[in-house]
Amino acid sequence: MDISESKDFLVHTASLKEVRTFSRDVFDKLNLNNDLKDELVLAIAEAAQNVVKHAYKGVEDTSDHMQIKISLTGDQLEIGFYDKGKPVVAENIQHRKLDDIKPGGLGTYFIKQIMDDAVFKKDQQQWVNHLVLTKKI
Amino acid sequence: MLSVTQMSYKISEEGNISTVFLNGEIDMDVTEKAKEVILPLVETGKEVHLNLKDVSYMDSSGISVLIESHQKALEHNTKVVVKEVSKSVLKVIMMAKLEQILNLE
Repeated sequence: MDISESKDFLVHTASLKEVRTFSRDVFDKLNLNNDLKDELVLAIAEAAQNVVKHAYKGVEDTSDHMQIKISLTGDQLEIGFYDKGKPVVAENIQHRKLDDIKPGGLGTYFIKQIMDDAVFKKDQQQWVNHLVLTKKI
Repeated sequence: MLSVTQMSYKISEEGNISTVFLNGEIDMDVTEKAKEVILPLVETGKEVHLNLKDVSYMDSSGISVLIESHQKALEHNTKVVVKEVSKSVLKVIMMAKLEQILNLE
């Protein structure tokens, strides 16, 4: 079953639960198994958290929204994240080394573990950042 | 409208052990609250048990709370024990390769 659903969320940590609920609702329609669903929801939540934490770093109480779009075409799952925060320099994004045990730096690692690919695209006029996560399911 | 992430907790004391029963979903929205509950207990030098049986979701922010608690305990010559971890949370701990670092029971 092909599907394409999107939703806007206020850029705020309190939106993260809503992001997860939206994602779970979409994946429920796709009848994904629970383990895969949990992993995909985690990857989406981590990417949304990165928007709040990094693209809007130092910005308090913005009225900006981010958009998340989940699409499945055949067996190719694509999840788009759109925001109007500070431009992300993809080359600067790296997770911490796993043996360097300290708080933080794991979100991007989780995304890379779960998804096949994560690419920032410069194809948007309306938005500043456009992250695309893909996975063959 | 924002939905409110629910994380609640209960603390029990027995001898030199404080047990924190966390409930709900641990994400970036509640990490400060979780740290405010856990870290002062660790700083007393008591052994702190974190019971996660009612924690249905944890992301990298929650993992950071576990790491910070564990490291703070080492500084205070005590330990944090993570107990009754749900399957979904254990998966995240294992993804971070922390199952050998944290004291899991």
